[in-house]
Amino acid sequence: MNLSRKAQYILPLAVALVTGCSSSTVATDVRDVNAFLAAQGRNIGQRPGAGSAISMPTEDAWENDGAEAPRILAKPLTADDAVKLALVQNRELRASMYELGIARGQAVQAGLLPNPEIEISLRAPQDPFQRLQADIGFEYDLSALILVPLRKGVADAELEATRVRVARDVLETAFQARLAFYDVQARQAVLDLQKRAFDAFQAGYAAAEELHRVGNLPDADLAIHRAAVEASRIDVAEAENALLDARERFNVAAGLSGQQVTWTIAGPLPPPEDMPVDAVVTEKKAITASLELAEIGRRMEAAAKRVGLHRTQGVMPHVSGGFHGEQDGISWELGGHVTVGLPIFDRAQGRIISAKSELGALRERYVAAAIGVRSSARMTQNRIESAGKRARHYQQALLPAREKALAETLLQYNAMHVSVFQVLDVQRRVTETGIAYTETLLDYWKARASLDQILAGGARPRALGAVSTGHTSSAGMDVGSGAGH
Amino acid sequence: MDRRDFVKLGAAISGTLVAARAAGQALPSQARPLPAKPGPFPGGQVRVVTPNGATLPMKEKDGLKIGHLVAMPVDHTFAPGLEGACWGYNGRVHGPTIEVVEGDRARFYVTNRLPEPTTVHWHGIILPNGMDGVAGLTQRPIMPRETHMYEFTFDKPGTFMYHPHFDEMTQMALGMVGMIVVHPKKPKGPRVDRDFALITHEWAIRAGMRRPDPNEMKDFNVLTFNAKAFPGTEPLVVGKGERVRIRLGNLSAMDHHPIHLHGLSFEVVGTDGGDIPVSARVPETTVLVPTGSVRVIEFVPTESGDWAMHCHMTHHIMNQMGHGMGVIVGANAAKIDARVQQLVPGYMTMGHTGMGDMAEMKMPAPKNSIPMVGGKGPFSSIDMGGMFTILKVRDNPESEDGSGWYSHPKGSVADKADAAMMQADGVDPDVKF
Repeated sequence: MNLSRKAQYILPLAVALVTGCSSSTVATDVRDVNAFLAAQGRNIGQRPGAGSAISMPTEDAWENDGAEAPRILAKPLTADDAVKLALVQNRELRASMYELGIARGQAVQAGLLPNPEIEISLRAPQDPFQRLQADIGFEYDLSALILVPLRKGVADAELEATRVRVARDVLETAFQARLAFYDVQARQAVLDLQKRAFDAFQAGYAAAEELHRVGNLPDADLAIHRAAVEASRIDVAEAENALLDARERFNVAAGLSGQQVTWTIAGPLPPPEDMPVDAVVTEKKAITASLELAEIGRRMEAAAKRVGLHRTQGVMPHVSGGFHGEQDGISWELGGHVTVGLPIFDRAQGRIISAKSELGALRERYVAAAIGVRSSARMTQNRIESAGKRARHYQQALLPAREKALAETLLQYNAMHVSVFQVLDVQRRVTETGIAYTETLLDYWKARASLDQILAGGARPRALGAVSTGHTSSAGMDVGSGAGH
Repeated sequence: MDRRDFVKLGAAISGTLVAARAAGQALPSQARPLPAKPGPFPGGQVRVVTPNGATLPMKEKDGLKIGHLVAMPVDHTFAPGLEGACWGYNGRVHGPTIEVVEGDRARFYVTNRLPEPTTVHWHGIILPNGMDGVAGLTQRPIMPRETHMYEFTFDKPGTFMYHPHFDEMTQMALGMVGMIVVHPKKPKGPRVDRDFALITHEWAIRAGMRRPDPNEMKDFNVLTFNAKAFPGTEPLVVGKGERVRIRLGNLSAMDHHPIHLHGLSFEVVGTDGGDIPVSARVPETTVLVPTGSVRVIEFVPTESGDWAMHCHMTHHIMNQMGHGMGVIVGANAAKIDARVQQLVPGYMTMGHTGMGDMAEMKMPAPKNSIPMVGGKGPFSSIDMGGMFTILKVRDNPESEDGSGWYSHPKGSVADKADAAMMQADGVDPDVKF
């Protein structure tokens, strides 16, 4: 071991001696994560261009600054509000911060110097002429001392990996809150539309009742209209339940409870953005930004260091040394010793194999993750383009066409070619198309948030879900030929 | 929104349409050509007038009368507001009336400008078999852009028709029919002063469409005299005491038409088979004209006035109304409107008190359609349409162009009863039954 290598070990050792006694607080971890994310240019949970980055509040703010959540909740929520709330209140995220503390503690622990051992023994001779005899010994594990920098290196790499994972958790929390909020917006819109469809069925039934009352409609037709109303009532109930479920998912995502769960939303999902996405750029950015890859990279680094540690341990004899003093009643006898364990049988072969395998496994996982990130980026982009096109088609073509069909059907009604029931049927098609549009819009915004998540380095979305097909029956020609005398 | 407001709104929304209709509407109040004068036919017989139609011009060469029929697509106006993509002859729907004299030998060139073959069948005319115009049976079809020649002698006087006998379902449904009048060399019976030719026809044109549907088998919603629906039909102006002949031909796809005249009785004097013996004639006010048949009626009106003449099938005197709306009569519209208008603001229940006032409501209608369109009358709207026209009996018909309304002598128009008179006559309007 040359001087420079010695210095390499001595310097961290000195740092460890100095910092070893300092406490690891959550506030430190929060600052670390925020600093990490800021350094990486991540915009936690916010849409690009939506303003300054949102950062995790400090631990003090968690407990002491209770005004942030009420302030956000005082107004109808937007998607960005939803993210802010989650970062302020999500308890799982706070738990992740504590886990970061655990890792930090382990790193600190790994950097501490081994404690010396002092042995004192007293002996009372049976010979009354001899004095009390005392032995004193001092023992220090030199091997452990030598290995401190290596262990510390491993622990620091693990800490860094954990820090990256927690940063991913932050992004994931923001992402899940945003998704949950989008779902609430969609479920609210669907409920409103289902109520409108219910109103249409009720209007049809009211017309049927009146026509039946004056003898213009048979019992069977009245029953059919009644059945349609009752079926629609179930649709509304299901939509209501879906909304309640969505709200609860958001409550969990945002860590809301008690009086906080009475929040309202600021509005429906906005129409799709006209924001083209470059596939090549997206893929490159996704790879560069991926915290998943970064974490695996850190863990590979830790595994590599662990291999080095175990190899060193395997070849390095266990050395401890000390000195010994013996008071025989008259004088002290002083001496020293060195204990050397011979690495004959246990040369840490097992740990080396495990560490090397762990490294190999991580290497493969790194490649697999890279493939996954690229694929997720492409899939998400495809979904954005597809859902965006479909949503725009709904918005710009199909919905206006349905509205036009309704207007024209009303004219056909005026011409006595169709009945009020057919007018209402076409009106319900407008509503159904609105529901399909909403589901497609939700697809789009989920994909959009997923891409933002990927480009910010967050975890790959587990699944975008099945493509929403909606209820866009091309029927609608059933307004009756109606002509004739 | 109450009905009055709705009507205002509807009128505002459809202002352009209404204005356009009004501008193009050929109401009876507008000027028309004066009735035709008697023509140069043997025995001083008058020329046949085809209201809303024309007579085929024929050249005479070496004792042969030559006519030219061109089968072709035609844009046709059924009534103001309803244009049709039809097929006809010589740019007309229906084709021009062929008017000849018994014994005339005629040569007809028939040019086909349709996208499919055609023929002309001379319905009721007795002629050589090879001139009968039945594709496949008596001739090969006239292919598109071909011209065929028919030549035969009109041996028998009477009233006949012509139409295709290739894909007749399509071609007749799109309007390819016409009348043939063969005047007798020596007229029998009293001389007539007015002679009209009217073809009844039925069409399936859904509101908003332009092309009549040839596939329709039962639901016909545009019913016409000479391819015109009221108020597009031209009135028949005749003189009181004049002898009037009306030749009614029916080439509707499926329906017969009981044609009813008001204010007079008539006799059916002939069919496309020939004259009905005088001894077999009976007085009628309605004549049933079966599909594929001709009925010729004659009468002498004795009462001046504007008299309705129409098919007595009630659905045949309505313009393009469908049957898809169900039965609304008797319903409380408010109970229906309250809910439906929340979802469809332009909706208004109608027909719950009957349908007679609908022409006045000016409801926004599909483009190119004439549902609920009647005509303007001297007292109020005439809420009939379709196969409806007006027989105008005048003391001095030569000075009338048919655009003016009859001026009733004082006290000769039914009007609101006087309460005192009702009481004196023992009439209680609140009587219970």
